Amino acid sequence: MTNELTTWLDTLLAELDAISVRRTSRRRLRVEVASDALPALLELLRGRASFVHLSAISCVDWIDAGQFELVYHCWSYEIQSLVSVHTRIPREPGVYISVYDIYTPAAFFERDIHEMFGVWFEGSPDLSRFILTEWDGPPPMRKDFDSEAWVNQHFGWQDYHPDWLKNLEARGGGIAVPPDEQRFSRRTVDET
Amino acid sequence: MRPENYEAQSQPPSYDYELNIGPNHPGIEGNYAFKLRLNGDRVIAGRADAGYLHRGFEKLMEGRLWIQNLAITPRICVPDPVPMEVSYCLAVEDLCGLEVPERAQWLRVMQLELSRIAAHFFIFGGHAATTGMYTPMFWGIADRDLILDLFEEMTGGRVYHIYNIPGGVRRDLPDGFGERVTHTLNYLESRLPDYDNLLFTNQVFVHRARGCGPISQQQALEWGVTGPNLRATGLKFDVRRDDPYLVYDQLEFEIPTEDPGDAWARALVRRRELKESIRIIRQVVARLPTLAGPIRCPIPNPLAWNVPAGSTYTRVESSKGELAWYVVSDGGERPYRTHVRGPSQMHAVQVLEQLAIGCRIEDVAQIMFSLDACPPEVDR
Repeated sequence: MTNELTTWLDTLLAELDAISVRRTSRRRLRVEVASDALPALLELLRGRASFVHLSAISCVDWIDAGQFELVYHCWSYEIQSLVSVHTRIPREPGVYISVYDIYTPAAFFERDIHEMFGVWFEGSPDLSRFILTEWDGPPPMRKDFDSEAWVNQHFGWQDYHPDWLKNLEARGGGIAVPPDEQRFSRRTVDET
Repeated sequence: MRPENYEAQSQPPSYDYELNIGPNHPGIEGNYAFKLRLNGDRVIAGRADAGYLHRGFEKLMEGRLWIQNLAITPRICVPDPVPMEVSYCLAVEDLCGLEVPERAQWLRVMQLELSRIAAHFFIFGGHAATTGMYTPMFWGIADRDLILDLFEEMTGGRVYHIYNIPGGVRRDLPDGFGERVTHTLNYLESRLPDYDNLLFTNQVFVHRARGCGPISQQQALEWGVTGPNLRATGLKFDVRRDDPYLVYDQLEFEIPTEDPGDAWARALVRRRELKESIRIIRQVVARLPTLAGPIRCPIPNPLAWNVPAGSTYTRVESSKGELAWYVVSDGGERPYRTHVRGPSQMHAVQVLEQLAIGCRIEDVAQIMFSLDACPPEVDR
């Protein structure tokens, strides 16, 4: 039964246009599709092919190509197979369509991606801040966000040199870290 | 007051008010806030508020070597850390095409199931405490500690083990470890009737838990619920059986299910799963002496390890549900992107907000614990 269904799914997907399908293992299928065809494909997967479980939506920032890659992982309890649907959208302006009306769990993942990557999902029920409630900087998971520079700009450094350490050093002990081995470079956002 | 002096007074009308539960409270295994809107003692609406445990692990992992990230992965979920490191290792192995030796796979299964038992004992105690029974809580923590002792001997760490590396495990079992595991399992199994008497057949618990926060199977599928919470609605799904990894397809175990889908059913599913985990570990202990051979395959110099470009999605069954990693490599010595899908991301946010509507205020903590919500997984 499972094998029949799997074959049927492969045939179904092979008939669609503008889509590339690759079976990476027995239970994994990698599908690449244009961004305007993705909602229709998910609709088909859920409604016609029993892929009722949206396991996750992952976002990858391909900064050199100027694109965000969105990956929708859908699982079918009947076929026992996982389809990863890959699509790419332009990094600017980073707007896409919500699939909340197809998969309810998408609301969480879209909210998360909006917060971490700044992608706006048209029609998502709630894109308010969730984890980074008081954050006012750029979306931190983008590749062009430099955490170290951000820290240097927004937080002060304090040299930890208490009296007990000074006493220790006066007696020839202590730990001296040479400047070129210090981990944090103390560069700021403007210098980068 | 004497009854004849009692005069019924007109009560002020129930009023709407807001109440913040958390970020510190007994309903959950970490810092997490739940903002409630109430009418009297009925919840009208609830809103989950996360972020108190956000440590930016996904961003941190992009800046570290593949091997260094092993120290980060178990910290994503504190009560059940092992599935995190195993699934991350599975992802790296998948990208590199590494073949894990069979002995290492069985050792991983043993570690995974011990961790599941520890997590379930933790949850028994926590769930009992939200219904006002504190003895099972102390018992649960104490019995979990026996597993932690085994972990300490097996891996060197009690909570965070970092026992797995891509390609296998760090070290083999110490001498006589199998007997000590069997001894502990025998003891824990002999304790289960005590738990049944004190907790699972205790009418205080049964009356509080029955009908509390029910999920129908259709709702569970709709909301993306996985793990024991899904099996409590009657669907027989377990990643270990339906999307097998390691050597789970060679092991015999049942997948317990219950039909009602309420807090009571969820507790029962975990109680029965615990017994199955004991059964699995017994099989592993019996099998290990017959498996000689290496415990890890050769890997390149881990400090200069360029993992081939590609992406992979690996799933395991943690004690809370389906846990998955999406790992992308661009061929460099650091991951290009890692994304962790914790089971609690579903049932601790959307599902909890839905279930809280209409329940009474004293049941909120119980619903949270019966769902086994793990905030560090949500925040990452």
